Amino acid sequence: MSELRDLVQAALGAATDGEQVEAYAEEERRTEVSALRGEVEGMTFAESRGVGVRVIRDERLGYAWAADPTEDEVRAAVATARANAALAEPDASNVLPGAAAVEPMPELYRAESASISADDKVRMALDLERYTVSRDPRVTKVDLAQVGDEVSRVAIASTAGVDQSYERTDGWVVAVTLAVEGDETQVGFSFTIARGLDQLAWEPIADEAVDRAVQMLGAAKPETAKVPVILDPFAASSFLGVLAGALNADNVLKGRSLFADMVGQEVGAPAFTLIDDGRRADGPGACPFDGEGVPSGRTELFTGGVLNGFLHSTYTARRAGGGQRSTGNAKRGGYKSAPGVGTSNFFVEAGERSFDGLRADAGGGVLIMDVSGVHSGANPISGEFSVGATGRRIDADGSLGEPLREMTIASTLPEMLQGVRAVGSDLRFFSSVGTPSILIGEMTLAGV
Amino acid sequence: MLDRDLASEVLIAARRKGGDVAEVFVEERSSTSIRLDDGRVEELTTGLDRGAGVRVFQGTTYGYAYANRLDRDSLLEAAAAASAALAGDAPGAVVDLTDRTGPGTNRAERAASEVDAATKVGWLRTVDEAARAVSPEVAQVTGIYFDSMQRRLIATSDGRWVQEDRPRIRLVAQVVAKRGDVIQTGWQGPAACAGVEFLDTHPPEETGRRGAERAVAMLDSIPAPAGEMAVVVANGCGGVLFHEAVGHPLEADAVDKEASVYRGLIGERCSSELINGVDDATIPNGWGSYDFDDEGTPAERTVLFTDGVLQGFLQDRMRAARMGTATTGNARRESYAHPPIVRMTNTNILPGETDPEAIVRDTAAGIYVTGLGGGQTNPASGDFVFGVSEGYLIEHGEVTTPVRGANLIGRAIDVMRSVDAVGSDFETWEGVCGKDGQGAPVGSGSPTLRIGKITVGGTGV
Repeated sequence: MSELRDLVQAALGAATDGEQVEAYAEEERRTEVSALRGEVEGMTFAESRGVGVRVIRDERLGYAWAADPTEDEVRAAVATARANAALAEPDASNVLPGAAAVEPMPELYRAESASISADDKVRMALDLERYTVSRDPRVTKVDLAQVGDEVSRVAIASTAGVDQSYERTDGWVVAVTLAVEGDETQVGFSFTIARGLDQLAWEPIADEAVDRAVQMLGAAKPETAKVPVILDPFAASSFLGVLAGALNADNVLKGRSLFADMVGQEVGAPAFTLIDDGRRADGPGACPFDGEGVPSGRTELFTGGVLNGFLHSTYTARRAGGGQRSTGNAKRGGYKSAPGVGTSNFFVEAGERSFDGLRADAGGGVLIMDVSGVHSGANPISGEFSVGATGRRIDADGSLGEPLREMTIASTLPEMLQGVRAVGSDLRFFSSVGTPSILIGEMTLAGV
Repeated sequence: MLDRDLASEVLIAARRKGGDVAEVFVEERSSTSIRLDDGRVEELTTGLDRGAGVRVFQGTTYGYAYANRLDRDSLLEAAAAASAALAGDAPGAVVDLTDRTGPGTNRAERAASEVDAATKVGWLRTVDEAARAVSPEVAQVTGIYFDSMQRRLIATSDGRWVQEDRPRIRLVAQVVAKRGDVIQTGWQGPAACAGVEFLDTHPPEETGRRGAERAVAMLDSIPAPAGEMAVVVANGCGGVLFHEAVGHPLEADAVDKEASVYRGLIGERCSSELINGVDDATIPNGWGSYDFDDEGTPAERTVLFTDGVLQGFLQDRMRAARMGTATTGNARRESYAHPPIVRMTNTNILPGETDPEAIVRDTAAGIYVTGLGGGQTNPASGDFVFGVSEGYLIEHGEVTTPVRGANLIGRAIDVMRSVDAVGSDFETWEGVCGKDGQGAPVGSGSPTLRIGKITVGGTGV
């Protein structure tokens, strides 16, 4: 079996005169174990590798990929990508990035995490489930109690001089609980991710999943009103994907972002700062370089509410002109896709207020703990959204009151960002997006 | 893709610790996708994917391992890894593998692989031109063409040997319309398990035009009202509502985990008596159709509701065995990289007898929904949300001003009980449903429906 670097070099060797060739190879080894009713529910072992090839010829771009290819199959993929390029239209912005100094991030790989045995993962999943159903008499079953980890490696090289590789380990725990009282069932979710399973404390995840389900028992539908809202980190993180779409330079350049003409403006309130930082090693989205080998960086998209700019790949930077450079945000959905623009660690900067302090300022409002339907109910182009929500009333003294369900919150992204009154100190990452609790002055809540 | 002797050897290895059934799933998939954006063909991608997954299960405990290599060593290694999930020590037997043949539900008359890429690019240009021709307010068009051919082989320790090829084709128009500061979007994306003949009945011009019309219509929209009201759901749209609100809680894995609001309700009238619903994997060339599911069970048409009475759940082999019933052939997987799970196929509400125009005419006030962006449901609580991408006010029985930023939110059982009119028309909608990290192409369909009272989330208070 060829090494990843041999595979990408095979692609470069197949380049002909007058073209640029880039090959991206990755391999992953993933294990997931879930437990149910005191037994192993499922164990999945996954091993995959593949190579994706970009060919640029006469400013035309073609892409081809192959799963677990031999070196000959990689060379064949170059030929296919070349044929595909011939059918695409020329675009002067189609250029591969050149070599750049990448500072390695060795802390992304932990040998101790990579060597955890399958038996240990099984034990951890069984312990997680047993512990989760022992915390509250109303939570006697889980919908999901799962641990998982992954070891992955990436190599990328191009005729433009890129030659990079890195490896990483990740480990995660998920708990989804069912709290039952009478004929009502409520669901609670919690999740955490770190460099390896040996780096995780899973008990707090179980406790949180139990607590989030039990809190919702007895939930009622509220009256329709405009009220102050706190989005907790679970709920707030759901909106970051929509913001990411609107801050993607490719969407901006093609007229698909409401932020297109707002650079330099106070789009959000002073409390709102939004950052993408691929070099923040404690974030799950950390990586030394992006999907085309450009070093990861730190980009402040909003500073104190002011929009500074957008996330760029080499292509969008060149197309935008004006001396714009790639921000190191060319991202791939694996080897099967050419790089587009995406986020690394994308997070709202933490403030100084405690969660209790935020609530004290939101008396008579609502704490939103979960939102649903964001993929269909929020539009990154128009900025409008209307999503389903669950949460709790915040009483006049700031304490948490009645649980609420079957309601929606609706607004527009600019109105929501303008409405940010304060940001909590409780920043938390969910996969590669992170956010603290956010207090918003007023949102429309629809219920009865 | 794999010879029978090697398949048997892999199955025997997978049953080294016993288990009820061992299964090997082998897949080879070639695909082409082309993206036209901003008036230009941006990217043409072709790929070849292949791999195999080995599963063994006992009760509802399973082990699954896959690799994207198909050599003997890799397959035996996967079998050994999968079997590690079981605790037993008595090896199980493997029955002779015998061919099962299906009816050919998804026959392609003209395979996409026979059509050159330049022709496919031409279809996207047609989408682009048709969309831009609708109005000068059309600001941006993205056209996406996709086709794939999936070759599958399923062999099981109880003797199943199933081979089936599935062709897929899809053409999508995403359109942005702009007027001053107002930006709106429209989407149209017909899809089928078929060859390129599908585009004869779903021509690229229509896809581009319809996507653009939706975007342009929404430029005149006002913020949607908020609160409880009557909602008329146009034909085609109600299927997604049914899929989200009712279909997911009827999947047997949710029922088995006691995470379904419909648990224990078979034989009960838990919908309006106007509701007759099915999940039907046998519809020729349907987006969610097949001859055999991904466990090798023949496809079925499963009746879910008859006159509002719940008839049964959607099953796979593990859940059906646990519940003492038969599988309904609803085990599906995204690819060899995923174990099969219980999924819907084409989930439809069947037509009733009311003239759809009369349903609108008889509605004094409410919302008329003609486009949707998908939804999400919580099977345990039954709460669901359903995004409206194209909707209009109904005033005094007439469809009037377009509304934006609306969604529908409710509880499955309450909402299905409050359906008070079912039209005689019928239309389908094709989407991709996500569950447990796996995407599955699903169809849904419905006549025009009226929900007497449901919460509309909007900003107009």
